[in-house]
Amino acid sequence: MTADTPTHLKKKGIQAAKLVRPILGVLVSLFLIYRIFDVLVVQKSFGPDTWTRLLIAGLILGGVYALVAIGYTLVYGILFMINFAHGEVMMIGAFGGYFVFEILKVIPAGSSGSYFLNTYPYLSIFLAFVGGMSISALVGFFLEKVAYRPLRKAPRLVPLISAIGASMFLQNAMQLLFSAQLRNYTNPDILRRGAGWTIAINNSDVVIPYTGVFSFVLSVVLLIILYTIVRKTKLGRSMRAVALDKKTAALMGVDVDRTISLTFLLSGALAGAAGVMWGIHNGMIYYYTGFIPGIKAFTAAVLGGIGNLPGAMLGGLFLGLVESVGPALLGIDFQLKDVLAFVILIVVLIFKPSGLLGESLAEEKV
Amino acid sequence: MTDNIIECNQVCKIFGGLIAVNKVDLEVPIQSITSIIGPNGAGKTTLFNCISGFYTPETGDVFFEGESLRGKSTDVIASMGISRTYQNIRLFSNLTSIENVMVGQHHKLKETWLDAVLGTRRSRKEEKDSIEEGVRWLNIVGLRGMGNVPARSMPYGAQRRLEIARALGSNPRLLLLDEPTAGMNPQETLEMTALIRRLRDEFGITIILIEHDMHVVMGISDQIAVLDFGQKIADGTPKEIQSNPRVIEAYLGPGGAALAKKYSKKG
Amino acid sequence: MKKSEVRQSLNTGAVFGIIHIFCVLIGFNAMMGSLLVKIVGQKSDLSAPTVASLVAYAILLGLFAGIVSARRQHEASLAKRVLASLLTGVVLSILATALVGIFQLLLTNHINPRNTFPTLSFPFMKACLFKLAGKGVWINFFIFLGSTVLGGLLNGLWDLPTVTSSRKNANTWIKNLGEKISGGSPKVKKIKKYAFLGLAILIVAIVPVEWGSYWNYVIGTVGLYVILGLGLNIIVGLSGQLVLGFIAFFAIGAYTVALLNAPIPFNIMLGFWPSLILAIILAAFTGLLLGLPIMNLRGDYLAIVTLGFGEIIRILLKSDVLTPFTGGPRGVQDIHGPMIFGHEFNDVNYMYLIIFAVLLAIFVYNRLQNSRSGRAWMAIREDETVAKATGVNTGKYKLLALMIGAAFAGLAGAIYAARNQYTGPDEHAMMASINVLCLIIVGGMGNIPGTLLGAFALKGLPELLREVENYRMLVFGALLVAMMLIRPEGLIPSKRPIRDLPDLPDENQSQEPTGAAVQAPGEQAHDR
Repeated sequence: MTADTPTHLKKKGIQAAKLVRPILGVLVSLFLIYRIFDVLVVQKSFGPDTWTRLLIAGLILGGVYALVAIGYTLVYGILFMINFAHGEVMMIGAFGGYFVFEILKVIPAGSSGSYFLNTYPYLSIFLAFVGGMSISALVGFFLEKVAYRPLRKAPRLVPLISAIGASMFLQNAMQLLFSAQLRNYTNPDILRRGAGWTIAINNSDVVIPYTGVFSFVLSVVLLIILYTIVRKTKLGRSMRAVALDKKTAALMGVDVDRTISLTFLLSGALAGAAGVMWGIHNGMIYYYTGFIPGIKAFTAAVLGGIGNLPGAMLGGLFLGLVESVGPALLGIDFQLKDVLAFVILIVVLIFKPSGLLGESLAEEKV
Repeated sequence: MTDNIIECNQVCKIFGGLIAVNKVDLEVPIQSITSIIGPNGAGKTTLFNCISGFYTPETGDVFFEGESLRGKSTDVIASMGISRTYQNIRLFSNLTSIENVMVGQHHKLKETWLDAVLGTRRSRKEEKDSIEEGVRWLNIVGLRGMGNVPARSMPYGAQRRLEIARALGSNPRLLLLDEPTAGMNPQETLEMTALIRRLRDEFGITIILIEHDMHVVMGISDQIAVLDFGQKIADGTPKEIQSNPRVIEAYLGPGGAALAKKYSKKG
Repeated sequence: MKKSEVRQSLNTGAVFGIIHIFCVLIGFNAMMGSLLVKIVGQKSDLSAPTVASLVAYAILLGLFAGIVSARRQHEASLAKRVLASLLTGVVLSILATALVGIFQLLLTNHINPRNTFPTLSFPFMKACLFKLAGKGVWINFFIFLGSTVLGGLLNGLWDLPTVTSSRKNANTWIKNLGEKISGGSPKVKKIKKYAFLGLAILIVAIVPVEWGSYWNYVIGTVGLYVILGLGLNIIVGLSGQLVLGFIAFFAIGAYTVALLNAPIPFNIMLGFWPSLILAIILAAFTGLLLGLPIMNLRGDYLAIVTLGFGEIIRILLKSDVLTPFTGGPRGVQDIHGPMIFGHEFNDVNYMYLIIFAVLLAIFVYNRLQNSRSGRAWMAIREDETVAKATGVNTGKYKLLALMIGAAFAGLAGAIYAARNQYTGPDEHAMMASINVLCLIIVGGMGNIPGTLLGAFALKGLPELLREVENYRMLVFGALLVAMMLIRPEGLIPSKRPIRDLPDLPDENQSQEPTGAAVQAPGEQAHDR
């Protein structure tokens, strides 16, 4: 093999490395401030109408991310593992909603020539969510049962690899079952994509889309429901108990297996809702739809402090906003918006792995 | 320069709201066998962890041969001459016994990855020497002939001894043993005790142990320190500790001293 | 038969039934069928499979289901096993029949489900009914039922005493043969070893010239994956760091050679060999850069961060932003490779180069594995906290593993770019990282034969069996999960070397003469 840096130089390198973090942090912050200043004050690249549009888009995106992030955080809090396949669960929910709409689109109802979808739009939307969320919940349930439960006692790497395998399997299964073709969501007319309330800012029309508002409101509602479940109900107490100390919870009479299954059902359902929302708002779904949002949602969960519920919600919102507004604010190409999310992930994990709202990971017991 | 290999100076370790170790002073003379005893939860292992560098005490300091250990990472502390074993055995399960001991020797050796790839004379000689020395240690702790057995396949008592052999691999001057005779039958306990004494007498190693077996403690220690609720409530020779009423009360509860007196008179 | 056993058999049938329905919907049955008939020389088209292929598939599935069902009745009598497989077969057949029954309905009503399930074209569905329409439904039922019961029967017969004893005889015979081949006096052994080596060298020298460029390409790619697998094994297998963005180092090696030896964008033409050295160094350096900030991350976090890192590299390479430097989404074309005797390397030359690189990688890996560094890595893998307290500078060694592993990947990438004369950002580069991970996990983590097996199985087989291509990632995913459930250490688990230990005099001066070094049999091993 070729020569590499000799040992003593390497040692010096490691000592220098200790300074790397703070120096890097300062440099990055300065760079960010400079860029933001440049865009906002010096060049005034975008008017308030654009910023408003970006902000709205960010909030909507944030709501979706928050729902998926909660799923990651719930599972991590209980099993201390990253459910790598969670993004796929969301994608499957999106497909579920899609098929519901497709079926309702062809069932004749009401006056001649019209179909169920538009005769009973509210019911249709409800059914789509029920369909999507149920399927996702089931997928989450079976995922745990088949790929995670038998590996609970194995060393950490093993269930993680199993999760990666499950993620690959689900993605490709969906691709093979339904082809790689992009599927288009047919919304009922009341939720037509692109339609919304218009307000005028800076002499141009900014649209607040119906689909977006719907998404956001639904996200908030579901998050409140979940929060209530975790804080106020028996199931929630069991979940928190198992998260804190599995063995003791079992000794206190908590059915650990059932609690874990229910957790996966819940997190799956939320992801499914997020998937259907994604389909309704963005229109296009295919087998790969869940992958990148999955990683971003995980970033959000970590940002807020993994295992920390409100943290995941806020992390999701924050990430949505950053992804939407960030590239414009920093004067970067929009193609690189995914890179922004990944960079945030890496930066958070390196500098503050316990997250912004922080759940300090316990010191290792010796 | 004192005669003490370890000096703990008002060491305090706090977890959240709990003071696990509360202003403990401890002096350990060189080449002695010191036992740390106390009821469960007294803070013994926490103190151990402070000495071996796993925890950094909130206040106070630990001095090893006059040098402060504050802020030093565990591998640096190991290279200074401190080795330890663990309450729940923590061996490298998938490595063989001899390999476990060879990891213990790691920081003494100088072979780099490049040496290994090129097969230099240094690497070959070091491998040979370290295997030989490793086998010697295995023999000494009583694991003769078990060099190629994977650590996870060893029976319990042998695993405990292997952990000690691994600790010895680095030629430590101070050895910390965390409950070395836990789960052993009387026969094994005797052998362990003999081994500990031998390590002190023949190899000049200072030993600090955490123990619950009072026979072992009383029989082997030069000095005993007693912890209760994080504080050191007594220290001295075994004889002094045995008759110390505070110690008895820590184990038997209030009124325990009188009880002990009553029963010792009868016995 | 007990109620729970009945339920178990029915359960097995349901599981297999669902698996079967899934397989049909993704066309897996056609693929398996075509592989099966390929053995007897027939051909079958995946979108309009032959009846023979689907029958073969059905029988195979039935047999498999029957065997599994019978096996779950541990050590039961023949009759009981057949009964179990019968129950399983009934459920499986009902589900399979229902499926083709639905197909029949769709066919007779001319409803085309292709918009939802692209696999289900009319020819495909007709084939599933064995081209017999209504009667095909019933034939399906009996074929599945029959083969499941047959599977149970076979399993029962396999465990009959007469069969078992002849199995044992066969095993002993094979073992004896093996010993005869490898045994003999030391001198004979030495002669055999050299003869074997000579034969191997002869094969290696001649075969690449004879068997054509297709094989050189395929086996060459397998070889490069072996190098990748060994590199990843240093990081994951030896030191236990789960790095998911590994392919990024490969990309760096490839791009280094590419950008230094192509007309666009830079036209430097440095020459292959210096570029190779540079590629390896650069890859190692990137490993250092990646490793420094992530040193304190635990397993899952490490995995995701390295995944993110890999994705960042891929997006950057693909974006238009960096096109002037990297060639953008179209990559770098027309890379000039090494020259020999005045002309560029041909496929045979590349094959030799790859063989040499593989041997080099194996050599280095082997030396590292059994060295002080190798043990330090394994200690980190087993228990990082304790390894540190035992004196191992864990930070330095984790970095070292990353750098050396990255160097391996850089080497592979460099050769790849020169050989293919093109490199670019692959569509799903993460899949390639997972490929390499699969390879070492399935083959066996941390050892050389395992890596070889993994590379051949996971890279070589799909190349040879073109039909499997579409299902490759699906199978990999399932394989990963299955391996973790059944055999996490891989097909060839790592065995620690049996060393030649010096026989020193016993220095243990214990009180009792017995029991010191030898443990009493039956003593409980303390499991971690």
